[in-house]
Amino acid sequence: MKNPVMTASGTFGSGREYADFINLDRLGAIVVKGVTREPRAGNPTPRICETPSGMLNAIGLQNPGVERFIAEDLKWLAPLGVPVIVNIAGGTVTEYSDVARTLSRAGGVAGLEVNISCPNVKRGGISFGCDPEMTVKVVAAVRKAAPGLPLIVKLTPAAGDVVGVAEAAAAAGADALSLINTFPGMSIDTETFEPRLGSTTGGLSGPAIRPIAVKMVFDVSRAVRVPIIGMGGISTAQDAIEFMLAGASAVAVGTANFVDPKATIDIIEGLERFVRVRCIDSITSIIGAVKVR
Amino acid sequence: MGAPNGPCQTRVQVLSVQNLGTDVFVMRCFCPEIAKRARPGQFVHVKCGDDRAYILRRPFSIHRVTSDNAFELLIRKVGKGTKYLSTVTPQSQLDMIGPLGTGFDIPEPTKKAVVVAGGLCVAPMMFLAEELIARHIRLYTVIGAQSRDELYYYMDFKRMGRDVYVATDDSSQGHGGFASDLVPRAIEDGAPDVIYACGPHEMLAAVAGCAREYRIPCQVSLEASMACGVGACLSCACETTEGPQRVCVEGPVFDADRIEW
Repeated sequence: MKNPVMTASGTFGSGREYADFINLDRLGAIVVKGVTREPRAGNPTPRICETPSGMLNAIGLQNPGVERFIAEDLKWLAPLGVPVIVNIAGGTVTEYSDVARTLSRAGGVAGLEVNISCPNVKRGGISFGCDPEMTVKVVAAVRKAAPGLPLIVKLTPAAGDVVGVAEAAAAAGADALSLINTFPGMSIDTETFEPRLGSTTGGLSGPAIRPIAVKMVFDVSRAVRVPIIGMGGISTAQDAIEFMLAGASAVAVGTANFVDPKATIDIIEGLERFVRVRCIDSITSIIGAVKVR
Repeated sequence: MGAPNGPCQTRVQVLSVQNLGTDVFVMRCFCPEIAKRARPGQFVHVKCGDDRAYILRRPFSIHRVTSDNAFELLIRKVGKGTKYLSTVTPQSQLDMIGPLGTGFDIPEPTKKAVVVAGGLCVAPMMFLAEELIARHIRLYTVIGAQSRDELYYYMDFKRMGRDVYVATDDSSQGHGGFASDLVPRAIEDGAPDVIYACGPHEMLAAVAGCAREYRIPCQVSLEASMACGVGACLSCACETTEGPQRVCVEGPVFDADRIEW
């Protein structure tokens, strides 16, 4: 990666949605929207609502299925020369390993991000990521199905013992961990008494969850040796620096892409400026450099 | 980066903010990039200040393009974002993305068109009506509002074509009821080649039903809550005969018979 700034899955489509606004090849990596074995229609609308300093979403993993993803989106992305990381999801362990196998044969994929943390689907997703034993099963199966591809496992803040799940994922063969996915949440319209999301509950993202995410990155980075991709409400270079100080080796920008299509580029430039102003060799030198009192 | 006719993210200069009613105002903006590219039915995605408590952009239909350099938005104050916009002073700048989405299609040869607008959804229909008039297409306009005070564009439509049908919820002007109730009359008077509609979902469903009955092509502009506005987040999906489609990219204008009403 030419810099530590990536996009967070689900907030950047398949990349081409942002080609009108930024040079995609400046990104450290593009993490695309979650892909499943079969096409998925997603959840009923409304699928988002705004909340203080953030938003709830319940998209429900709408995607065209892995075959069409490869034929259309990956075909468009691969020639750009930016590492493409494909977020994969499923309702069963077999679905995860089937998607991983298909992608490992496709070419043009730099890595897989195993999504065991989606709060918006009935099976799989978050229910796997809250349970260290299920985490091991999914990660080991994907590892076996795609032996040649770097594996990132995306964790949920809803796990009671995030460190335990992180250790399980690392032991099962994860090359890196990304944390955190959205936090389960709900909002109710006090006029109509109805939930503000079509599927009642959703996942909270944006600056509102940043302190939770920073703490989880801090905790997990002290327990496991694999690199961590930190995410959760990063909107500025300063936010990215905070995650790296807490122990993240790279960062992903999510909700901020919706607010400002140029967010990733502003953060990359901000990190470059930080390196210059602080006279440090590289931004990597601040990884885990928080001075705990 | 961007295609020459694609959307851009840019600083837009506010030229004026004019109140139309208690909660409704027109914001005129200077921005050649957007004004030159905009098509009727497209929208802009507007950042409403720097308050970190509410971060998402707000989408607004382009209401009118007044010159090569300027366009207008018609806005109702409903929440924090629109309240902020109502306080913006001339000369200040707003961060906008646009023009976004797929607008209305004017098939050749169209000679007569019915335009249906419910409430503040008249916003994109003014831009469309002006484009239709410029192409010498005769207009039959159906407008609906809660009451006569909110029929902001009655006189403008009257100037553009004498056939204007009015419905108000409180019977203070014209037909007491929905704009869609008047669509059969407009169709029978005008024998239009195409029907264009924007309004509440139930109204659009009724207009689409009418159009089907009379076998006239109909295009509807949908509303949906959205985050990114550029097709990435998939929050504005709507059910169509071809599966879920994005209101922000494939829409907001759709052929009515493609929508799963």
